[in-house]
Parts: sequence; C-alpha cells; structure tokens
Amino acid sequence: MLSHPRLPRRRFLSAAAGTALAAGVGRAAFAQDYPSRNVHITVPTGEGGGADRDARTFTKVWADHMKTNFEFDYYPGAAGQVGYEFYMQQEPNAYNLLFSNIGPEVIMLTLQNVGIDIGKDLVYIKKTSTEPMAVWVGPSSPFKSLEALVDEAKKRTVTVSVSRLPHPASIGMLALGEATGATFNLVPFGGGNPSAMAAITGEVDCCALPLANPISLGDQAIVLGVFADRNPAPDEANGAPAVNDAMGTKLPPLTSSRAWGIHKAAIDKYPERIEILKTTMQETLDDPAYAEAVKASGLPTAFIDVGNQEAAMAEAEATRELAIRYKDLLTGG
Amino acid sequence: MELDAATLAGLFLHAFSLWYVIVPAVLIGIVMGAIPGFAAHNTIIILLPLTLAFDVETALVFMVALYCASHLGGGVPAILVNIPGTGGAAATTLDGYPMTKKGEAQKALALSFVASVLGGLISSVVTLFALPYLSRVGYYVHSVEMVVVMLFGLALIASIAAQDMLKGLIAGAFGLMLGSMGADHIYAAPRGTFGLLELFDGVPLVPALIGLFAISEALVMLEETSIVRAEDGAGARPVDWPATLRNVAYACTKWWHITWCSLLGLVIGVIPGAGASIAAFVAYQQSLFFSKTPEAYGRGHPEGVVAPEAANNGVTTGTLVPLLAIGVPGGSTAAVMMVVLQFHGFPFGPRLFVEAPGLAYGVIVAMAVSYVLMIPMIFPMVRYLSKVTVVSTLYLAPLIVAFTLVGAFVPRGFVFDIGIAIAFGLIGYVARKTGYHVAAILIGVILGPLIERSFILAMRISGNDPFVMFSSAIGNVLWVLLVLTLVMPYVLKRLRERSGPPAAEGAE
Repeated sequence: MLSHPRLPRRRFLSAAAGTALAAGVGRAAFAQDYPSRNVHITVPTGEGGGADRDARTFTKVWADHMKTNFEFDYYPGAAGQVGYEFYMQQEPNAYNLLFSNIGPEVIMLTLQNVGIDIGKDLVYIKKTSTEPMAVWVGPSSPFKSLEALVDEAKKRTVTVSVSRLPHPASIGMLALGEATGATFNLVPFGGGNPSAMAAITGEVDCCALPLANPISLGDQAIVLGVFADRNPAPDEANGAPAVNDAMGTKLPPLTSSRAWGIHKAAIDKYPERIEILKTTMQETLDDPAYAEAVKASGLPTAFIDVGNQEAAMAEAEATRELAIRYKDLLTGG
Repeated sequence: MELDAATLAGLFLHAFSLWYVIVPAVLIGIVMGAIPGFAAHNTIIILLPLTLAFDVETALVFMVALYCASHLGGGVPAILVNIPGTGGAAATTLDGYPMTKKGEAQKALALSFVASVLGGLISSVVTLFALPYLSRVGYYVHSVEMVVVMLFGLALIASIAAQDMLKGLIAGAFGLMLGSMGADHIYAAPRGTFGLLELFDGVPLVPALIGLFAISEALVMLEETSIVRAEDGAGARPVDWPATLRNVAYACTKWWHITWCSLLGLVIGVIPGAGASIAAFVAYQQSLFFSKTPEAYGRGHPEGVVAPEAANNGVTTGTLVPLLAIGVPGGSTAAVMMVVLQFHGFPFGPRLFVEAPGLAYGVIVAMAVSYVLMIPMIFPMVRYLSKVTVVSTLYLAPLIVAFTLVGAFVPRGFVFDIGIAIAFGLIGYVARKTGYHVAAILIGVILGPLIERSFILAMRISGNDPFVMFSSAIGNVLWVLLVLTLVMPYVLKRLRERSGPPAAEGAE
C-alpha cells in the first residue's frame, strides 16, 4: 500500500483556479454537521461507462435528499483494482464513497489478491440496482437464437467479447460452454463500450455483458439469452429467454449489483454519518424521481433493486464463492 | 430528417445563433489546449458539473466547440516552445519548432491555425454528408488492421532516426519498453510497475509528454538567452498586419495538403480506440513519404506543420461518428458527451437521429460552425503569439516548468505524476544532449501500448495464430502500403542520386 500524499484534485483545482465553477458547486453550511461539504465519489471504471451513468443518475436525485453536491473521480485500470486501492487510501470520514459494481469487482478482489478484505476493510452499505448478465449479438449476426450460437460453438470456437476476464459475464459464458460442450474463446476488450463495438462490427461472434449494455444500444444489439432465472426486462431485451430455459442447463444466476461502498473504519468511527447516508439513500430509492431518472437514462426500472447492507454483503459473499469456484477457468490455471 | 438545402441552412443558422456559447468555449478550448494536461478531455470532465446544468443542446455545442478549439490550441506551444499541448500535437514539434528557431514562428503559427481550421471544417462538412459511410469504417478496420495502421506511426521513428539510425532506433525501443509498463490486457497482471499503483494503468501519457518535451526543453532553453537564434534576426522581423495576412494567405496555398491530411485524420478518428496522436503521426509520416523534399522534414518544413495539425483536427469529428451512428463512443471525449446525453434522457446512436435529428446533425454542424468562428481569431493569434519567442528564457523557462507541472498533476490528480514529469524531463534532457530524439521515445510510449493491445486482441481472437495478421484483404493492402512506405524513400533517393544533385531544400 502506498503512503505518499495525494491532493484531492477538485479541491486543488478549486483553490488554484478560484473559478466561478468552484463557487457554483460549493454550498452553504447547513445546520447539521454532516454533510458540511461535497461528498467525493470514486468510480473504479472510466467515465462514460455504465457505472458512471448509474452513479450520476442516482446522485441527481440523492443531491436533494443529502442536501449536498457530489464530485466524481474515475480510476480505471487492472479490472478495477486501481480504483479500489486508491479509494482505500482516502480518508475514512464518510465523505469518500465508492460506487461499485459488486459482481466483477468482488471477482477481481478475489482473483487478484489485492489485499482488500470485503467486510473488514470495505463494506457495501446499500444496493441500488441488479441486472443479469446477457449474451447478445450485433444486428448483422447470423445467429438468431442462443441454440444456434451454442450449436456453432460445438463445431468451432466461437469468439466472445467481454469487458474483462474476472467478470460474471465471463463466468456465464465459460459455465455455458462447460455445461453444453461448446467452446467459447473469451476476448477481453477492456470495457463495455469496446466490447460492444467488437460484436456490432462483427470482429467477434457475440458479446457477453450486463443486460443494461445491449438494452442501451437499442436496435444495434439482439439479446440471445439472460443468465438469470428470468429475463427482468423482456420488452427492452427482445424477449430473450433465460439461458437455463433455452439450453436446459442449471447455471447459477449471474448478476451484478450496483452498490455504495465505504471504508469499514468510517462505519466504526462515524456511525451517525453512516446512518444519514443510509437513510438518504433509501429516501432516494423510494423517490419516484429516481425511477424517472433511471427510465430517462434508457434503462428499465425493473433493474432497481433495493437492498440493505446485509443484502449487499450477502451478494458480495456469494460472488466471492462463485469466483473461487471458477477460478481456474478465469485465470487459465 | 432529410438533409436538403433548407434543412441544412436551418441547422447552420441555428448553430450560428449559438455564437454566445461557441465563442467562449472556443476561447477556453484554445487556452486549455495550449497548456499540457488541460486538453479537451480533462477540461470537459472538470466542467461537467457546469455542462450538466445546461440544456442538452447548449451543453453539446459547448463541448464540441471546446473540443475542436483545444486541438487548435495544442499546436501553439508545440511550435513556439517545442512543447505539445496535447499528444496529437507532438508531431507538430518536429517541424514547427525548427521554424520558430529559424525566426519563422509567425509563419508556422499561420500554417498550424489555417490547417487546423480548414482541416476541421472540411472533415465536419464531409462527416455531415458521409456519416452513414464513415460509420462503416469500424466494420472493416478491426484489431489486425489497427496493428498495421499503428505500424505506419511507428515507421516514423525510422524517418526521425534518418540522421543517426542507431540512436533513433534505440530511442524508439526505449519508448516502447516504457510503453509496455502496466497491467497486461488479458489477465491484468502488473508488469514493470515496481509495485507502484500509479503505474498499473501504464506510463501516464501527459506527464511523460510534459517531461520529455516541456521540462527538458526548459532546461535546454536556459543555456540560451532567447529561443530564436540571434543570427536569424527574428526579433527584427515585422509582425505587423500585412505580414500576418501574407502568412495566412501562404498557409491557404497548402489547401490540398490540408484536405487530404484532414480526411486521413477523419478516417482514423472514426476507428474506435484510435485518436489524434495516431492520426498526427501517420499523417506526418505520409506527408513525408509523398513529399518531393523529404530531406527538409525535421528542419522546419511547412508541410511538416500542416500535416499533423490538419489530421488531428480531422479526428475531432471522426471520434463522434461511432457515438452518433452506432451508439458507442469512439474516444474519451465522446464518452463524456454520452454522459451528458444520458443525463438528459436522450438516446444515442441511430435512435438519436430518429428521436432528435436536429440534435444529432446539429452536433456536427456546430463543429463546422465552431471552426468558422475560429477564422477571425486566427489573425490576432498569428500576429501576437509569436512574440512569445522573444521573451527571455530566464522568465520563460520557469513559467513553462510551473505551468506544465500543474498540467502533469491535473489529469489524474496524483502528486506522483509530477515526479514522473520530472523524471522524464531528466531523461529528455540527457537524450537531447546526447543526440537521441525525444519524439522517437514519445512515439514508443504513445503507440506501444496501443499496438500491443490490438496485437493481443487479434492473436486472442485467432487462437494465437500469427497468420491472422495477414488474414484480411484490407489488412493485406495496408501491409503492402507499409512496406512501400518503408522501402520507397530509399529507392527514390537512389534514383535521385543517379539522376543528379538533390533538389534544393524547398521547404516552400
């Protein structure tokens, strides 16, 4: 772990430039002690991705309940490891939050021996949404059904673009191959957008990503199957079946939830602040404006999945077990 | 929405009516583009809270205007003080700064600005009409083809190294080695990071660029009292309006060079993952290849300024094509624009053209109008900015160091990156004093990780079959062109030597 100093960028720029913008996003002191300044959010992926979209959709409404503003920093790299490690270096004062994607990030923490212990170092305090993984193709793909794709993968190796190997979608495809005798070659493109582009332009045969990705692409993506008990958004995902229903397999549900993470030390030291965070997060999730904002961002409201700390941590634990189970397939070990 | 004359006129008039948004954005973009580290992407991110508060049309127009202007601004320090404001302007230093050293800073600035504005304008208008066709480029150019495209850029190392091939290749190889640092693309295993988390995502480009060019140049600068050689008498050269007009008019005579380089930039910009740096290096390399006076490149050749600047401004509209036509952002700036569209509940990709065609076409028109509105700004900038070169280096060097170190810090917010800039500054200084070309190092740092990623993807997709590199028709054509690019200069040189003395250094 590094110990050299790191200046908060926004604070530095505000002080150095003294811009009108800085004044604009500043806020007057409120009667309550917390929050008395902006809350800083770490996103362990790049700007413009699904996490960025969902974090901004949430904070758009949350700002009214928290009575504060939010600042974002993006730390992509090493499948999210960079973002998590930098987050852990920040002061555990409940002003620094992590917007996480439990599925791929817990798998990354499990497989890459990062040294961050979920539960001891970092706790997910609120789950906001859940979406299943999906396998889909571009509009000019010859594969019109999951069965056709799997049949082809029994004759030759079918290429699959994925954002990264330690990811529930990757596990889904590998598990599907294991269960059906099909051969899938996972090609990690380093993010949802380039993975999607590879499938749409025909560089690979298909793509495996969280369901929100093909839904946001509209006619450019045809969903073939969903790694869950049922398709939660059949209207938006061209009525694609559950993979188990289509193929007669018994794969575990492969989902991922967006959740707010925070230092365990902050929970121990500032319980009253954590309570404010949890309360206002719940108020946000109950606010009809949030459902409207989700809809406006192009996602089905069926993805909204409210879960408290226990639910979020239970999902993290289930994902960790899944990662251990498929470790060899994901690491080539 | 049919793109007939009336619709187009309406779109252009509407974009012009937003001048009060475009002009401030252009001014901010030029200034920020000129400061290394504050390039379009970072500036747009910093200003995101502001743009999210605007309505979606104002926000997008503001962002595209700023984006275009930042590419123009990046050439200013590249020419005047040998410091590219953005990665896309790195190739501009190769001939821009030698022109400044010869006392031709004003002329170089005129070339840069005219190439940027015309190049951007041409590519915007072409994009407006050819969007459906341009969007198909991504369907044909995949990882294999990208490997070859980037090899064109890498081939520039050989050109730069022409005077001392061994040192040039060593510098290029050193850059490639530095570029291979960071987590690998498949298993995210860290390589050569020395356990430093800040290096997991590779050597950060902006601090490396600042160190190699800015810090090392500031150190070299201190050995002289002025950037311009006294014997060139640049200080005495007129910087009046007639001279300014003459230089701008001269730059306009390079219209054909500007046109094809900007179109080359547009096509490269359309390819997801490519960008201004690749486009500028490839355009420079191709300009050199087709030139009748290749030996004049690197010594202050006007077309060596025109090519990268036209190309990196051609990229600006190109990067928007995948976002608009397919719905997937082609670069980081387009990704931020996608955030704004999502935030306001607008779709992107083909659905944007169905649900808000005025906005979809309006973004491209706003780019064209931004370049039109930059035209009047060219003249005062050409006239006055060149005066920077007569400022004493005793003042200039510390200012450069201070500004650029802040620039090194800005993109990621790490104090560590200031250290990276200083380390690369020392590397750059030693390289300059010992005859190793810093541009060759930088090409390796920029293109190394990109070519590695494309290579690994291509290999992975093919099941590690090396012949995949020759598996596509377009790729094979590119291979042939690459070989010709590498071989032809030597063949032509031999032919010229046989037919008589080499042509005069007709940089004009």
